[in-house]
Amino acid sequence: MKYYSFGEPSGRFIGYSQGFKVYATTIARQYTDMRQPEKKAVPQGEFYFGYGPSTGGMIESVGVDLLTPGELITEAYVNPSYKQRNVTIRGRTIGDASLIVERINAFHCAAHSIAFASAVEDALGFDLPDGIAHTRIIALELERIRSNLLVIERMCQPAGFGVPANQLAILREEATRIVSRATGHRYFFSSISPGCSMMNLSGVGNAVRKISSTFSRIYDDLLESKVFMSRLINNGKVSIDSLIGPAARASGQARDARIDSATLPYSRFGFTPVLHETSDAFARFQVRSEEILQSAGIVSDALNGASNTGKMEKLEGDGEGAARVESPQGDLFYYVKVENSIVRDIVMVSPSSSNIAAFTQSMKGNIFTDFHFNWESFGIWISEAGVVLQ
Amino acid sequence: MYQYIAVIIFGIAALLSVISRKAGYITVVAGSVILIVAGFRPSDYQSYFILISSIVWILISIYSLEYDRKYGRWLSSLFSLTVMGMAMILVSQTYLIFIAGWEVMSIASYAIIGLNSRDHTPPYVFMVFSEISTILIIAGSVFAIFQQGGFSFSFLPVGNDTPLLLISLGCITKMGITPFMISEWLPIAHGNAPANASAMLSATMTLMGVFMIFRLISLSPQSIAIGIFFLAIGSISVLFASIYAYIAENMKMLGGFSTIENNGSILSALGLLLIVQQDVFRIFIILTIIIFSFAHSLGKTGLFLTVGSTKGEYFSQVSAGSGRWVSAGSIISFASLSGLFPTLGGLATWMLLESFFMEAYLGGFLGIIAIVVGSVIAMGEGMAAGAMIKMSSFTQLYPKTRTSRSGGLAIFLVGSLIILLFLASPIVFPAVLKGSVSGTLVFYGFTIESRFGPADFGLISPLYITVVIGAFALLAYAIFGKPRERAVPAWNGGRQDLTVYTSYSYSSNIRLMLRRILRTHVTSGSQPVSVVDIFWNTMIAVARSYRNMARRITLGVMNSSIGWYMVYMIVTFMVVLLISAYVA
Repeated sequence: MKYYSFGEPSGRFIGYSQGFKVYATTIARQYTDMRQPEKKAVPQGEFYFGYGPSTGGMIESVGVDLLTPGELITEAYVNPSYKQRNVTIRGRTIGDASLIVERINAFHCAAHSIAFASAVEDALGFDLPDGIAHTRIIALELERIRSNLLVIERMCQPAGFGVPANQLAILREEATRIVSRATGHRYFFSSISPGCSMMNLSGVGNAVRKISSTFSRIYDDLLESKVFMSRLINNGKVSIDSLIGPAARASGQARDARIDSATLPYSRFGFTPVLHETSDAFARFQVRSEEILQSAGIVSDALNGASNTGKMEKLEGDGEGAARVESPQGDLFYYVKVENSIVRDIVMVSPSSSNIAAFTQSMKGNIFTDFHFNWESFGIWISEAGVVLQ
Repeated sequence: MYQYIAVIIFGIAALLSVISRKAGYITVVAGSVILIVAGFRPSDYQSYFILISSIVWILISIYSLEYDRKYGRWLSSLFSLTVMGMAMILVSQTYLIFIAGWEVMSIASYAIIGLNSRDHTPPYVFMVFSEISTILIIAGSVFAIFQQGGFSFSFLPVGNDTPLLLISLGCITKMGITPFMISEWLPIAHGNAPANASAMLSATMTLMGVFMIFRLISLSPQSIAIGIFFLAIGSISVLFASIYAYIAENMKMLGGFSTIENNGSILSALGLLLIVQQDVFRIFIILTIIIFSFAHSLGKTGLFLTVGSTKGEYFSQVSAGSGRWVSAGSIISFASLSGLFPTLGGLATWMLLESFFMEAYLGGFLGIIAIVVGSVIAMGEGMAAGAMIKMSSFTQLYPKTRTSRSGGLAIFLVGSLIILLFLASPIVFPAVLKGSVSGTLVFYGFTIESRFGPADFGLISPLYITVVIGAFALLAYAIFGKPRERAVPAWNGGRQDLTVYTSYSYSSNIRLMLRRILRTHVTSGSQPVSVVDIFWNTMIAVARSYRNMARRITLGVMNSSIGWYMVYMIVTFMVVLLISAYVA
């Protein structure tokens, strides 16, 4: 493992899963109770308002319990396991495992596929050519643009902002079509696997610049809306140590796998994370928005030197590998143990699990009308939090 | 003179009650009927208070026949004695009988609260404020008697407005008007007064204050200053009492604050009466006061009798059984207290707001005051509707048990009367306030017009409203028939467990939105959103400051020093001489 080693905690905390506690450069084998925390007893006059798992207000099935004396939320619990998926990967070949991994959270297929592929490559001692690394960075940033567009679109919807929401939906569709043209699939399926990344990058630069330019105008308009701003400012303030991804950067913490993970060579592009200080939904909105513009710039830079295809010589051998990339939600970590081209062990630490914990903290003291704005600002994906890899 | 027979009968009822509760209540019913027959004259607006009070006493007595078994023999007796005190006020022709009635009423009701209270504070607070009101009333009466030459104790016209101000302040203290709201809601909510006594205290005792202010206004010269004072404290009372009613978790507290809100509305109308010059407009305002008093008294009776039938004083403890007639009567009472049609409360609220709009239409400084006061009252009425929806939802719409409830007849009678009186209300209006709209179903004799001159300002037809509502209801029934009920498991986002909404949560939006006004505390404790009574806290703070000041003077000046004592005596003697010279 060239990126990670087992041992004492070192560097910032990334997350935990299935007996692993993952830090910036080390993995600690440590059991963590993954069960849902016990709910607080209901005080006189209060009640648990159950929202979901079957509700039109959320994209995925998730159960949220909000303890409230009316309006004010005093405790929040998120249960992502109503539709828990048990996905069997152990015992499968690397190729088969790759097909499953890219479907764990299809909307973020690139992030999962790249993290998994990088872990396998690490396990098998494969040195990724620069061209493929650049292509993967382009894929990740394209996915970030699309994911952040969805987050901001979803933040507009509860405000009844139909026009910007639909404008953002059009931009999201444009981003998806870029992906489709580049990879042959709207969600990167089968385009990224250990040792290779297949993308036709012609026309990507211009198309991304167009999205960036249009989004910049929409973003300026949204910042002009006091009604919209008032729903975001001071909503869901959270500034705890375990924050990752845009939530961390929105609280002024420069936590980003693009600067502290060697999996992909972001340092070549002089990357510095977008930071905001106020720790609320507005700051997360700003970080997400400005990262769209930043990602467009990275795509433009990475196109120089990116290679369209790549191929791993052979997917054989034994070894352990781990990799971490910055998905749109934050640090996404994969560990694999390969024996004779078969995946014997796999651990995934998803950013959404960490964001759920941050979200529950941030909801205390909020009111219910703030809920959707705050939830969407974290960009939580239940598909990667409510999944057990076997 | 025959009216005093009723007073004597109420006294007999108090004695009879010691032997037999039921005999006592039946005697109160008989006395009330006699009081109506002997005292009510349609042309005499003051006598409408006799009608209102007597009807309420009859209804409460019918209800009490099955209600007060667990409260021992003294409740019936003290109830009758309180009624006797109120009857003395209503039939009094002299200040002496009025004051005597006021004290009988106060002491008997104090005994009801004291005998049923688990805590000494509620009866103590009740008595303190009762005695403050008595002192003010006695002071006002002395001034009035002095104005009349010092020999006649009868109610005669007075030359200035000082007696009106003093007696009104006494009545206001009793009515729970801001800043004395604690005098009304605390004894009712935390004095553990039985529901029938609560209904009597809330529906008719405070009405005695309205009656006396109304009577004094008829004897006093018009006073814009006192009128504006009434408008200010009346409208503030409406707004704050309705907010506190909305957030109340104790149903009797909600009723107590609703009473303050209603009294605030009536006081505002009395204030307008002191300002307005036009005769026709004055008649409209007088009828507003009477209709509002009627609506308040009946509605509040229905509310408290409903609380008595729910077997629990807090919304969280409500164990309301089912009962079609009880629910109908209760919901009509709540609708009336919300100011909704087709109820008497709806008419009263319309008349009150119409009065303020008319005064605003006349313009000038008073017009501006009227539009501000009218707007504040309208906001309060909206909040009151929210409080009554809370009451309806948590006591009537979702019964927790299938057992039938007691008191159904009386509660249904209250509801029926509220609708019937709404329909019959045009009868009490003089010809000048009646009208019609040709070519429509708004016939002459069934339509009330608001006006301050020849031209009408607005109109309302109780019959038309009732017919329209009834016709649409019948049409819906004819088309769709009786609704078919189908019980299905409640849907809760796909979960097995159910969410149970609480009344506390219902009100927390206001607790949080008005946190600056209500001084809402948001903590992480067991009750995260809590509100304090700012008026009570202010009053306690003032009392403590006064006590500290008195202590400092006692220790610093009045510390057994003969020199300072002599100075004190001389200064006091001179001040008394100066006041006497000024009054003379």
